[in-house]
Amino acid sequence: MRALNTAATGMLAQQLNVEVIANNIANMNTTAFKRQRAEFQDLLYQTVERQGASSSAAGTIVPTGVQIGLGVKAGSVYRITDQGNLEQTGNKFDVAISGKGYFRIQMPSGEDAYTRAGNFAVNGDGQLSTEDGYTVSPGITLPQDATDVIINQQGQVQALTPGNPAPTVVGQLDIVTFFNEGGLDPQGDNLFLESAASGPANAGTPGSPGFGTIAQGFIETSNVNAVQEITALIAAQRAYEMNSKVITASDEMLSTSANLRR
Amino acid sequence: MARSVQWFCHRSLNALFTAEAGGKMNNALMVGLTRQMVLRRQMDVTANNIANMSTAGFKVEKLLLRNVSAGPATALGGTSPISFVQDTGVTRRFSDGKIEKTGRALDLALSGPGFFVIETPNGERYTRDGRFAVNDVGIMTTADGMAVLDDGGAQITLDVNSAPPVITKEGSVQVGGLEVARLDIANFENLNSLTKVGEGRFKAPSNAAVLAVEKPVIMQHFLERSNVVAIVEMSRLIETTRAYQSVSNMLSKAETLSQQTIQRLGTVR
Repeated sequence: MRALNTAATGMLAQQLNVEVIANNIANMNTTAFKRQRAEFQDLLYQTVERQGASSSAAGTIVPTGVQIGLGVKAGSVYRITDQGNLEQTGNKFDVAISGKGYFRIQMPSGEDAYTRAGNFAVNGDGQLSTEDGYTVSPGITLPQDATDVIINQQGQVQALTPGNPAPTVVGQLDIVTFFNEGGLDPQGDNLFLESAASGPANAGTPGSPGFGTIAQGFIETSNVNAVQEITALIAAQRAYEMNSKVITASDEMLSTSANLRR
Repeated sequence: MARSVQWFCHRSLNALFTAEAGGKMNNALMVGLTRQMVLRRQMDVTANNIANMSTAGFKVEKLLLRNVSAGPATALGGTSPISFVQDTGVTRRFSDGKIEKTGRALDLALSGPGFFVIETPNGERYTRDGRFAVNDVGIMTTADGMAVLDDGGAQITLDVNSAPPVITKEGSVQVGGLEVARLDIANFENLNSLTKVGEGRFKAPSNAAVLAVEKPVIMQHFLERSNVVAIVEMSRLIETTRAYQSVSNMLSKAETLSQQTIQRLGTVR
């Protein structure tokens, strides 16, 4: 019976759905986390009787035909790149991007990774780095005696040093955009890598057309909406349950047939 | 075993549908068999509907049945004709699914008639599933990378360095206030002539005239969910199982009857 397998594909799909929702809820408080959504597509259709086939010698044709679907499959898991809320932290190394763009991070392996989580810190060498200690690229080194750091909307990093009333520019934060942000390859630790699907990184100055601006003293919260996730969870669980009922029902039918001959 | 049952069904159906078979003793078995075959298929269709409950743009399906009449069982002096049942087609209900707000810029819902037109390696396909994306060169595609076509039959290219496009109710794709393309929304006179090819896409028969939808209603940031109504499918599930059981009961009663007949007639008194 096809129904058994069809229902099994339905259960697998809903299981994936619950997994994605669980990950969203788990990351509700992760800086700059982008929620994901599992997407489903119907599987192949088996044609039992083709429409347009002639149904009699007089040339009448079958108007609709019999096509039986074989279930559902996971099409893709979209990352929804909506802006999260900007939350004020007061920490001067917390920077958030308001609008499009990613910070470029230099990985220990030398390759570039990208992130929107701007909860940066300064390492022992005075370099601006992520919480894991990977430096922000292009490298920005703060003077050891800096009393304050100002990062403006355009990403210019200025330091105030004792005895100098005017701040000195110590670097410029660049941000990058992609054709297809959803196609970035997630690496965990809030980091993404460029992929064939994302298109090449396109660097620019914050605030220029097409690029977001920088907000110092803020972090971007996740864009997970608790109410939305919980309702999705309920719907997914019920759908899972209904698919399991189909399996039970198919099983009952098979057992009825099997018991015909005693 | 399944094969032999199938062969048996084929042979018996062909024989039975030509009204000549009337009068055979196993009419009850054969009528029951046609019903059970249809119920199994009904179950497959219901299972597919339930499995696709959360597939965007999915349209619920229903099996069409017809009554195949054969002559009365004349050999036994019967007068009432025998009716078999056969499935003749699957229809789809093309009513709108639930429209859900997702907030994603490239999620489009079509409210009312029409289909988005998709370019695939096998030709143009039609879909109600509006979960679009942009690929690495800025072309608007479906989730699996097939280009969405505009009203001129061309692919739609979006500019990366701009804010997400604004898509108006009429299907005009605008970037920075300028129209870059207008989505092609197609429709057909006979929606049931469309074939499903999976991935939420429909194929039109080669002779079908593609009608342009004059005033489409497109909702950006929304998705059309499936139009599967859970309660209807669940009750159909119960109905199918129970009907299958009652046919089985009937079959075993018919078998008992013929067994008793043989035993009684064969007893020498």
